[in-house]
Amino acid sequence: MYHCNRIIKKMKNRLVLSILAIAMMSTSCTKPMNGNAEIRVGYTANGQPLMLDSLCYTNEAGNRFMVNEIQWFISKVALISEKGDEYSLGKVFYFDTNLPETQIIATSSIPCQKYTSMRFTFGLDQEDNVTGLFPDPPENNMFWPDHLGGGYHYMKLNGWYLNPNDSLIPMNIHLGIGQNEDQSVFYQNYFTVELPLDLNLEEGATNVIHLNMNIDNWFRNPHTYDINVLGGAIMQNQEAQQILKENGHDVFEVSTDESQTLRIARAIQDICRKASPKPHFFSLKKS
Amino acid sequence: MKKHLLLLLILPLILIACHPNPDDLFNPTPYELPSPLFFPHKNNIPADNPMTEEGVELGKLLFFDDTTRHCEERQRRSNPSCCASCHHPEHSFEGGPEATLENLGTEHTMLPLINLVWNTTGLGWRSNVKTLEDMVYAAYTDPSEINADTTEVVRQLQQSATYPKLFRKAFGTDKINFVLVEKAIAQYVRSLVFADSKFDRYLRGEEQLNQDELNGYRLFITEKGADCFHCHGGGSNALFTTNLRYNNGLDAEDHGTFKAPTLRNIALTAPYMHDGRFSTLDEVIDFYSDSVQYSVFISPLMHHVNQGGTRLTPEEKQQLKAFLNTLTQE
Repeated sequence: MYHCNRIIKKMKNRLVLSILAIAMMSTSCTKPMNGNAEIRVGYTANGQPLMLDSLCYTNEAGNRFMVNEIQWFISKVALISEKGDEYSLGKVFYFDTNLPETQIIATSSIPCQKYTSMRFTFGLDQEDNVTGLFPDPPENNMFWPDHLGGGYHYMKLNGWYLNPNDSLIPMNIHLGIGQNEDQSVFYQNYFTVELPLDLNLEEGATNVIHLNMNIDNWFRNPHTYDINVLGGAIMQNQEAQQILKENGHDVFEVSTDESQTLRIARAIQDICRKASPKPHFFSLKKS
Repeated sequence: MKKHLLLLLILPLILIACHPNPDDLFNPTPYELPSPLFFPHKNNIPADNPMTEEGVELGKLLFFDDTTRHCEERQRRSNPSCCASCHHPEHSFEGGPEATLENLGTEHTMLPLINLVWNTTGLGWRSNVKTLEDMVYAAYTDPSEINADTTEVVRQLQQSATYPKLFRKAFGTDKINFVLVEKAIAQYVRSLVFADSKFDRYLRGEEQLNQDELNGYRLFITEKGADCFHCHGGGSNALFTTNLRYNNGLDAEDHGTFKAPTLRNIALTAPYMHDGRFSTLDEVIDFYSDSVQYSVFISPLMHHVNQGGTRLTPEEKQQLKAFLNTLTQE
């Protein structure tokens, strides 16, 4: 009798162990694998990599221009799978050509699957664009005055253009909330961009998404943007804001394969970054 | 038994004798930095110099102390004797109207020492001093400033009757070195928070601005107005500076960029600009309105340059000045 009880007890233990093992195996089989992705930002103009501080570009209206710096937000960034599932990459991203560390954004724990498009809001929508959202620089330096609608600039694209008298005039393509003449009515100028993408996100690999801003397209399609007519400073010019908003639909492109143009752009940006003088800090010679 | 009794009597005496003087204990109280409305959260407090009540108090003493002997030789040589010789509280810790380049003998005029705890982009007109601790060292050793021998400074502080105890309370040691002097003064400067001007009270709903001040604020904060905000903040940047450097078109041949100074207490900080060329706020406003000079180095944010400036009317200039005066903390 005692012997039988021992055998039954042993069998029970084995059964419990087997159930546990099967449960663990089934859990590990169904657990989705995750991967990481990087968004790398680049800029092109006139079909070439953008060279900052160079008066070598001409827009659709024939205005010659240069770009000194670009600072901008995208928000509500999501990858969309071929099944239609959406995966949020983050609420708000800030890019600044003066701050190389902002030009690459690393994201992690993204479910491994095939993604067929990427969607984001250019700028910040009404839900996100709240005064005081960013207490710290550099994002805080993008604030948009409350008198003009509040929140933050969606983008500051600063540079110069040549007017018909061949004088250089500041070009401040600053996008944000627009307003009417007496600032009693406000207009939301953010817009949503959804771009096709062919990303098979793999575990253990660096999955890179190249996001390019084509500067030319801000100035064309469907509207030709003539800086001489619309002016270089447009925070209080809703007509100009509206044109840029409507032109913005094809300004961006995303790809997992860095194009030749982008590769050159990145190489030149790296060279410029290395060549640009680093901040010279006071040198301590303590005895 | 007798031995035990003796021991019981002696033990308390030993304990009392061994108990350190409370003044000598190192038990600093963390300094609570205020968080005013629309001020940044990110600060420049280094991990190796956390702010404490004792550190700030010691720094304040050193900042204002012109009686220590290490200063005497400096005074004879017409150098300032301590930080407060030049940085006056009544002028937002700047030098006041007399602090011109000619009088100072320095490369640039002073910048106000307020709200610097939130400056994370380097200090000075060229942003080339990385930390407040470095700035203290620079001020002490620069021939055109205190021009002190730091070894001598430390020696004399060490000989003082009071300083070693204060250093022990602040840093846990009474063995003074100049790094601790830097740390203490830097802590004090980080504590100089100015966030209670009339404009702050307006933002908090505690006080109303008059119509001229409101009109001036609208000019300050709009691109078609005086367009000050891109470099000098305002709105949800309550430091009233981006702490970044710009070329503002002072001279056609000027290739340099200089830090946009905070406009808090601007009414108290004449002379203005990095070279102190303007002695009144009216002159500054006139410059930005009518005399901005084009050069290939000027910031594109100076987008009125082709008209020579923002072209404010006399009334608008007065309104802008009225607003700027609301940034003064009495």
